[in-house]
Amino acid sequence: MRRIIASVRDGRGFDFVLVGVPFAFLFALAGLPLIYNILMSFQEVDMFSLGSFIRPFVGIDNYVALFRQPETWPILTNTLIFVVGSIAGQFVIGFGLALFFWTSFPGASWLRGLFLVSWVMPGLVVGAIWNWILSGDFGVLNFFLRESGLITANIFWRSDPNFSLWAVVIANIWLGTSFNMILLSVGLSAIPGDLYEAADMDGANAWQRFWTITLPMMRSTIGAIIALGLIFTLQQFDLFAAITDGGPNNSSNVAQYWAWDLSFRQYDFGRGATISVIMTVFVMFAAAVYVRSTRHEVRG
Amino acid sequence: MSETARNRLMLMIALIMAAIYLFPLYWMYVTSLKSGSEMFANPPSFLPSSAQWQTFAFVWESRNLGRYLWNSTVIAFGSVALIAVLGTGCAYVLARYRNVWVDLGLFLILMLQVLPASLMVTPIFVGFTQVGLLDYPRLAVILAIAAKSMPFFVVLVRATFMAVPMELEEAALVDGNSRVGAFFNIVLPLARNGILVSAILIFMQAFGEFVYSKSMIQDVSLQPASVGLNSFMGPNTSEWNNIMAYATMYVTPILAIFVLLQRRIVSGLTSGALK
Repeated sequence: MRRIIASVRDGRGFDFVLVGVPFAFLFALAGLPLIYNILMSFQEVDMFSLGSFIRPFVGIDNYVALFRQPETWPILTNTLIFVVGSIAGQFVIGFGLALFFWTSFPGASWLRGLFLVSWVMPGLVVGAIWNWILSGDFGVLNFFLRESGLITANIFWRSDPNFSLWAVVIANIWLGTSFNMILLSVGLSAIPGDLYEAADMDGANAWQRFWTITLPMMRSTIGAIIALGLIFTLQQFDLFAAITDGGPNNSSNVAQYWAWDLSFRQYDFGRGATISVIMTVFVMFAAAVYVRSTRHEVRG
Repeated sequence: MSETARNRLMLMIALIMAAIYLFPLYWMYVTSLKSGSEMFANPPSFLPSSAQWQTFAFVWESRNLGRYLWNSTVIAFGSVALIAVLGTGCAYVLARYRNVWVDLGLFLILMLQVLPASLMVTPIFVGFTQVGLLDYPRLAVILAIAAKSMPFFVVLVRATFMAVPMELEEAALVDGNSRVGAFFNIVLPLARNGILVSAILIFMQAFGEFVYSKSMIQDVSLQPASVGLNSFMGPNTSEWNNIMAYATMYVTPILAIFVLLQRRIVSGLTSGALK
């Protein structure tokens, strides 16, 4: 016993305690729920069987029933549109801004950092602001679009099924662009400057320099950022709660919001768990890509 | 074009872009100062004709914002304290050694970092119900947030520990410090800034957390401000000036912290997420 205490105070035991306790905590509150989730997806779980551990085992019935529901495929399609639209918008605008701020001028880094306010704000607040900006009759976005002649009649962003998903996509692009920009700026500043000097001497123009130096040198950064974008968009929940609530008629519903809706509004925890398991697999895949692209950092 | 003229031009363009990007924020502040009728004016006014400061006092009273913000603060401080105590040591060990086990641990940490809260909330809710934790809903939310955000904290703080030279710790050990002594007297003080910045980032995240609080806290008097804002925004609401005043009072402290510590927060963030 004394040797163990001595080791904790002044030996390898110290390391084991420092790393063991957090991992035990994470296992209890993240690992166990993951396993429990898989178990629940094979059970029938509702309000009545919530408190008991022994619940009817239904095999893959939850999965079968889920894919028989008429709204399943539209919601999965929405998820895809949401993810692709958000990532494309965030990345393109973020890259453009990063390239602009890369040309150093006084105040560039301070102004660039200021953009990050969109990212540190609570998601609910971002959602509330965009909900108001996107409002149909009095929204300021419709005003700008009308004044610039892009539209003649107001778009009812939140209540028109053709636009409701895009309302959330717009808000999400705004939210995530700054984060993309900051990370891309880090990647840009890591490109050695003499490459560009050499290209200059060879007579390459700006366009050629971008395609032959900037993009290839940024490949691993871009991979990591796209994977991070996938992770963050699949985590996005607050904007749906604040802007459209998944409606009207599921036209802006996505898998991660639906999973919560099934569990906490329809009290069908078994099915909520089923969706969660399916989505977790996707997220894990994105995470594996992310870890691969940042491997250099991880291995030091 | 001379150097200064070019710099001025670039700064002008940058300011315009920042103004466009930050317009939603400006719109929140402006709307919160408008009166009920001015808010729906067409064309909209971009400066309030007469600022309605009393809206803030009214919303603070009628929505019980003080209580909501207090709950948010309790939850955020609880999560940060738990994460800092558990995560700092973990990050230290993962930064100090390099072997297969550390690689495996890092891999697990990164995997846990990505799990969406809205997917994890179902099993956590059912599990917490069964062990009776939901009788202490704020504690339950703190535990859930800690599990969600700790991996991020560990990744950020690990980058800080990597920058602390190991020779300093070895010198302290040679001088007769125990491992515990060297950790608390030498390594921790040197990594203090990085830990503090990461803790602030976690605090800002936890202060705005929504999914867990919405799902696990039924009692209104224990709910944080994010849930309060959500219930304030009904589907057919028209009191947008009040909602924006609520949002302003909720978000301004966070924005103030961010603008003050911007440089440090940005550099702390970028050193961990990828390099």
